[in-house]
Amino acid sequence: MELLALLSSGIGQTLGITFGALALGAVLAVPLAALRRSELPVASTAAKILIEGIRGIPPIVWLLLIYFALGETDLKLTTFQASVIGLGIVSTAYIAEIYRSGLEAIPSGQFEAADALGMPFGAKFFRVITPQAATVVIPPLATFAIGLLKDSALASVIGAQDITFRAFQEAQANLNGLTVFMWAALLYILLSIPIAALARYTGSRLTRKVAA
Amino acid sequence: MFHSTQGVQGPDPVAFPSGEADATAGGTPILELRDIRIEYKGHEVVHGVSLAVQRGEVIALIGPSGAGKSSLLRSINFLEQPSAGQILVNGQLVQGQSGSRGAIARNKSLAAHRRDVGMVFQQFNLFPHLTALENVVLAQVHSLNRSKEEAVARARQELAHVGLTGHEDKYPAKCSGGQQQRIAIARALAMDPQLMLFDEPTSSLDPELGVEVLNTMKRLASEGMTMLVVTHEMHFAEDVADRVVFMADGAIVEEGPAEQVMLRPSSERAKTFLSAVRGR
Repeated sequence: MELLALLSSGIGQTLGITFGALALGAVLAVPLAALRRSELPVASTAAKILIEGIRGIPPIVWLLLIYFALGETDLKLTTFQASVIGLGIVSTAYIAEIYRSGLEAIPSGQFEAADALGMPFGAKFFRVITPQAATVVIPPLATFAIGLLKDSALASVIGAQDITFRAFQEAQANLNGLTVFMWAALLYILLSIPIAALARYTGSRLTRKVAA
Repeated sequence: MFHSTQGVQGPDPVAFPSGEADATAGGTPILELRDIRIEYKGHEVVHGVSLAVQRGEVIALIGPSGAGKSSLLRSINFLEQPSAGQILVNGQLVQGQSGSRGAIARNKSLAAHRRDVGMVFQQFNLFPHLTALENVVLAQVHSLNRSKEEAVARARQELAHVGLTGHEDKYPAKCSGGQQQRIAIARALAMDPQLMLFDEPTSSLDPELGVEVLNTMKRLASEGMTMLVVTHEMHFAEDVADRVVFMADGAIVEEGPAEQVMLRPSSERAKTFLSAVRGR
């Protein structure tokens, strides 16, 4: 039990890194997805290169890059902050693609109907497009969030004190690695269950209206 | 009410409309298309069409598939971007014919024009995440800045107008195709349009459901709504339209009073088309 308490002390950082990066990515992905869908070939190509570039670099390398790059500057970043930024960058690229697929799933007739009614861009986007895109976006976003929860363990490499970091320390100190990491694995599973449940609940609420 | 206009014109847009149109209809047309050209992927699908629509007139646009009827109709509210030509509403040139889609979306005068022109689509294009009532309310609030209460009251009125009292809280997926199309008509009417465009409004409906929609359209016509209808419903063209415009290969081949074009077409192209569709 003492062991579980020790590992649990890392839950805050694990969840903080996961949801911090997710939130950062979810926000930054909006302009990136918009750019990706731009009619200007320069803009959409630039966005595509950016997305492929970000995704082409392993998350662990991103974390180390951010950690060391910011170490060169006067910015004093904690390992937690560096982890959120590093994984946030990676999330931005993946979530932008999720948004894009959500937008592409909406029939052009929906855009045309809103246009034909003279709706201003904001109303068209937030009242017509987004609610429909959300039903398409939420399942892959939830899958991504669960993946991110697991990837957040990489933050332990740069010293963020998450579940994996605590487990590693404990295992090194007491040479009980198998037990420690089995408990750590269980904790990750327990944390991912509510995310999946929440996604299912939200998804079913949103699609219930639209389903025939 | 009836008048003729030149169908296909030369490049000079000033040669429109004909004197006769003004003499018989009296006054500025509610809608005037001058030498509209539409290109699609680099090749022209509408070759300089001109047409004037008088207030209260019902015009049926008929013709074979690929004639450019829908493209022409969609260009009226710039869902399709004309590559050349002018569109005038009440004698006023509508701005916003050029530029990217984004530039058009931000163009205030174009938004105002679109609010004046109601559009009914073949696939209804109702907002699936909103109830019938919410579908009719949404643009009233966001495009016309009506209060929620006013918009709801008006939406109920328009849904009643199309015979859908009691269906206000249904989602489109729970409605029949005919009901969905009537909701779409109510949604357009709630904007107080000066004219209504119908793009094959019954083509995706079973015949018996199409009748509901056609009856609604007949009533609108009898109430004096100006309507431009792309249709394959020959009975509608014959019985309801004041004027029939027959298009083929991106140009107006023949136009005139419904009776004349439908029963005594003068062009070979129209004769062939009409006898083919009637022979079914």
